[in-house]
Parts: sequence; structure tokens; C-alpha cells
Amino acid sequence: MEATNGKTKAGDWRNYERVLLPPVKDLHRLEVYEDNGGYKALREVLTNPKWEPKVITDEVKASGLRGRGGAGFNTGLKWSFMPPVDPDVPRFLCCNGDESEPGTFKDRQLMEYNPHLVFEGILIANYAMSIKTCFLYIRGEFADWITHMERELARLYEKGYVGENIMGTGFSTDIVIHKGAGAYICGEETSLMESLEGKRAYPRIKPPFPAQKGVWGYPTTINNVETLACAPLIINRGADWYKNIGAEKHPGPVLYGISGHVNRPGVYEYPTGMLITDLLNEVCGGMRGGKKLKALVPGGSSVPVLRADMIDGVTMDAESLREAGSMMGTAGMLFMDEDTDMVSFLRRVTHFYHHESCGQCTPCREGTGWLENLVTRIDEGEGNLRDLDLLLQLCDQMEGRTVCALADAAAWPVRNTINRFRDEFEAKCKPAVFATGGTEAVAVEA
Amino acid sequence: MADFIKNPVVPLPDRSPEPAFSEEELVFTEEEKVQIANYVKQYPTPDGAVMRALWVAQEKFGYLPPEVIQLVAEEVGMPYAKAYGVATFYTQYYKQPVGKFVLDVCTCFSCQFCGGYDMLHYLEDKLGIHKGETTEDGLFTIQEVECLGACGSAPMLQVTNGPYVHNLTTAKLDHLINELKQGRMPPFVSVTLPQDEDEMGGNRRSDAEAVDMYQAPPLPQTVK
Repeated sequence: MEATNGKTKAGDWRNYERVLLPPVKDLHRLEVYEDNGGYKALREVLTNPKWEPKVITDEVKASGLRGRGGAGFNTGLKWSFMPPVDPDVPRFLCCNGDESEPGTFKDRQLMEYNPHLVFEGILIANYAMSIKTCFLYIRGEFADWITHMERELARLYEKGYVGENIMGTGFSTDIVIHKGAGAYICGEETSLMESLEGKRAYPRIKPPFPAQKGVWGYPTTINNVETLACAPLIINRGADWYKNIGAEKHPGPVLYGISGHVNRPGVYEYPTGMLITDLLNEVCGGMRGGKKLKALVPGGSSVPVLRADMIDGVTMDAESLREAGSMMGTAGMLFMDEDTDMVSFLRRVTHFYHHESCGQCTPCREGTGWLENLVTRIDEGEGNLRDLDLLLQLCDQMEGRTVCALADAAAWPVRNTINRFRDEFEAKCKPAVFATGGTEAVAVEA
Repeated sequence: MADFIKNPVVPLPDRSPEPAFSEEELVFTEEEKVQIANYVKQYPTPDGAVMRALWVAQEKFGYLPPEVIQLVAEEVGMPYAKAYGVATFYTQYYKQPVGKFVLDVCTCFSCQFCGGYDMLHYLEDKLGIHKGETTEDGLFTIQEVECLGACGSAPMLQVTNGPYVHNLTTAKLDHLINELKQGRMPPFVSVTLPQDEDEMGGNRRSDAEAVDMYQAPPLPQTVK
């Protein structure tokens, strides 16, 4: 664990100045956004010959920006995977706004309060990779936010910031807003591409990676909404500034979406590397009703759950959370108090994955159903002790055996919740029966 | 004829003998045709526009029976089977008729722990139907849905793929049902960020029709 003697990786976070959602009234309006330095970064990269596309990619790479959609891959590195420009081959950017991971609700707020930062990020990314079209995929449930984004996008077209010959510089690019229709799997990048192409959203096998063969078989890069929103900030203030925010290996501002049994839930912007205890006690005002913390999901439903005794000194960045036995994910944090029933928690999580499995690969389609059935049986008091080991075995059969990571995402919470709260699961199972010559021998743990 | 065709174990895809819409009804207006054509232009192949076109059709017809999907497929210019595949993959496209207002109650884990199931059961009791069913007057359908991405203001629901209603309480549900019965949809609600509350004294959008806050979930009154 990191030494935390008064200094955290997040630095002086109490005086942190927000950059993704700066405190400016009506920032969602184009005029206000421009008055506050909006589209300065875009104008800079388009007009200043210093900013060749490759230089922008290098700058983003140097900033250490890591994807905010869950996997945490270095964004600049991802951009550099795009093949050299061939005028005959179209290339695409997909901005992933299919925010459906349970516990995650940050992109919605970003699109609501600072949509132009997202658009500017998209335009800079398009320029950096010489892309002519970006598809902004927003989940269908966000109908109101799609309307807002479309309205702002129409203004950008009017103003000549998107479309032909942007700002008179000869650079042309389009943004298309694609409305999803309710499928968690579309948050997976290859599945999102299938969905864009007008098919059932079945993930594809990688390789070929999207940078080689993406939407319609053309080179494609896929980034999360929040990731792209960081691009203008990096251009305006430099990679060094960005690199020095928060944790060394996972820098930058992050939107923490905090939910559950806390006094002040909501979306907060702070640097990475925040102590979980600081987030809970100082930012969110502690647990509701003075209850004790029991468990925490630090980054959306797929990441392993942490017990309250596992979070001392743990900070919100990929390295520290990995040491603690979890992951950063989307930074959508769910706090659960002492009254929470972990079996019913897992029952709901397995139900989610069963419902959202796309049905392409057998281990996932059948496995998620089995997970749900078994956990439901235990939750209803009809489970046997051996069901717990059967569940763990099922996880072994699912992890890494499918096209996409949904099966893994379904198996991790099961494995970790059972391992970390095994006593609770055992308490809900039927009492162990010692084999007395019957056919069923039941192992009883010490 | 093989027996399983006459008596299928799994019901065959909804081939209703009576089409839900007559041929006169099954047409897009010129305006809708232009709209769909514009969507088609945005994609390298027409197929990409099928999701948008299905949305247009659902808005018009209320739900998507096979003949409507056929109409969409023809308008977009893609095979019917593909369009049918898309329509049946995504949960927000209704394949069966639904009530005038669909109440999508989120019960995924953040909502679960903040009373999502209490709200769902209260609604079921109030309207006298179970989730997945429609009231007899055809006004309301209740659905239990997966995470809608508003976990901080849990429990919450969505009305007919449209506005969100945050921080549900039973009183709020009563009010919502009354409003909907009079045909008034809830407004778009902007949820204030806690940091905005501290630094800006409230919501940052001056054009917000309605404002809500992220709230701590109430302590359960009774422990089940």
C-alpha cells in the first residue's frame, strides 16, 4: 500500500479546480463555452503549423491519458495504431457514449453540462488521425440528452466548426449522432461497431483490431466520451500539466460517479489517485445514518467488490486498485452499508449479466443463466453448500472463453463476492447434511 | 406436415393472422421519408440507418409488429430478415403492443439498494398489474429495466423511452401517475452536481425546465 502520511497522490485535492466541468453557468451553450476559452484548442491545432497530426498524438501519448471507459488503455497509443493515411480508404472515429455499466453515470452529466468539450475533443481527435467522420454513439435511454447534443451539434454546423472547411482551414469532418436502443453489450467496442453497421450487436473476434478493420472494415478508433473530453485540455495546457494531476501512472481529472448508501451521492470531479476513504468521508459526507461501510464496488458492476477492511490507503487509480484486488473500471463507485445483503447484491448483478448477454457465445449465454439460477437459489434459502464451489467452477468455464469480455465481467463479481463474503453465502445455504451412507456427500468447511 | 410445425414447441415468430395495421395505415408520410433518407445519407451503407428508422417507426406506430419492420426495411433498403434481427435484439424496441405510458423502473444494484424494488412493487400495487403487463385501460405498462445511468439519484424510472424521474418516493409516484393520467409528461430534469451546489449555489443550467438534486437514500423503515 502507498504511504499516506498526510500526502495523497491526488495532491491538494481540496483546492482542486475543475476542468471537465468548470463552475461556469450555462457552459452548455456555445457562446458561453467560447467566452471561456472554448474551441481555442481546435483553432490552435488547425491553424498553428506546429500541430501536425502526429505531434498531437504524441502529446496525448505523453500526457499519460488512459481511457475512461473501463479498460484504461493509453489513449495516445491507441491513436497511434491507426494505419498511415490512404486517401482512398475512409477512416472513422467512434465516440462511445453507450454508458450502461451499472453504477456509472458520468458521461450523461458531461454531455448535459459540457457537451462542447466532448465535441471539441472529437474534432481534435479527428484531426490528429485525419478522420472525416465520427460516430457519436449514445445509448437510446438517453433520449433527452441525444436531443440536447443534436441541438448543440446543429449550432456547430451553422457556425462552421463542423462540416466542410472548418474555420476556413480546409479541414473537413462530420459528426453523426447514433441513437442506440438499449443493449449493454454495445458498450463493447466491436459490438458498438456492429450496431453502427445496422446489425445485431454481436462482438467480433480480435484481431483484427478496430485500427486495422473497424466499422465497415475500415480503420477505426473508439474512445469513451470522457476520454475525448480530455483532448482539448491537453492541447490547451500541455501534456506536462496533465501528467502532474493525480496518480503518476494514471493521471488526469476523473469524474467519480458515487452512488449507494452515502450522504451526498453524485458526480464529482477530482484527480485520480484519491483515497477511497477521503472520497467517502470528506467528499460524500460519510455513510447515511452513521452506518458502517460494508462493501464497495469501485468502478462499475464488472469490477471485483472490495470489503470495508480492504480499502485502507487504497487510492482510485489502476495500480493501487489492482494491488487491492480490484480495478478502476469506470470510476462509478457504489458504497454499501452494513445492512446490505451481499447475496441479493450478487443475485441482482448476475441477473443483469444474464439479461444483457448477447447470446453469441455458449459459455456466456448459458453460463450467465446458470450463475443467476444458482445465486437465486442460494438467495431464496434453497441452495446447497456445494453450489458455491459449483459457481466458482462455472466462473472458470466462462472466463476467457468467449469473444468479448462480458463473460469475464459476469464471472469476476461472482468469484470475488463469494470469496470475500463466503460466510454470508454459507449462512444462506441449507444446513450441511453429513453423508450417512447416502449418495450425496457434502463437504463441510472448517 | 411434420407435427412440430403444427404444434411448435417454441412459438414461431409472431405471424399473426390478422395484421395489426391495414395497408392504408402502413405508410410513412413524406416528412418521415425525408427524415429516414437523411439518416441513410449519414452512413456508408443504408443498413446503418435502420436503428434510427425503427425509432421513427416506433414513434409513429407505437410498437413494431413484423409488417412495420417490413415497411422500415423497404424504406431503408435492406433485407427484412436483417431488420427483424435488429428490432428483436434491442430491448427498447417494443415487439408487442404496450400502454400509452411505459414506466421503466430501474432496479439495478444502485437502485436496488436505494429502494428500487419498493418503488416497483408500489407501482404494481397501485396500478394492479405485474411488471411486464399493461393496465386494462391501455394507459400504463410497467417494466423492470437494467441500469439507466442515473445511479446517484436512485431510485429512478423512465417514462416511455423519454424523460427520467429521479429520487423516487411513493408520493412522487402518486403525483407522476396523476399527471400522466391527464396526459402530461414529466419535464426534463437537470440533476445538480454536488460540487455545483457548493461552488455555484445550485444548478448550472438556467434553461433547465426542472431541477433535482442527488440525494442520500432514505434509511429503510423496516428491515425485511
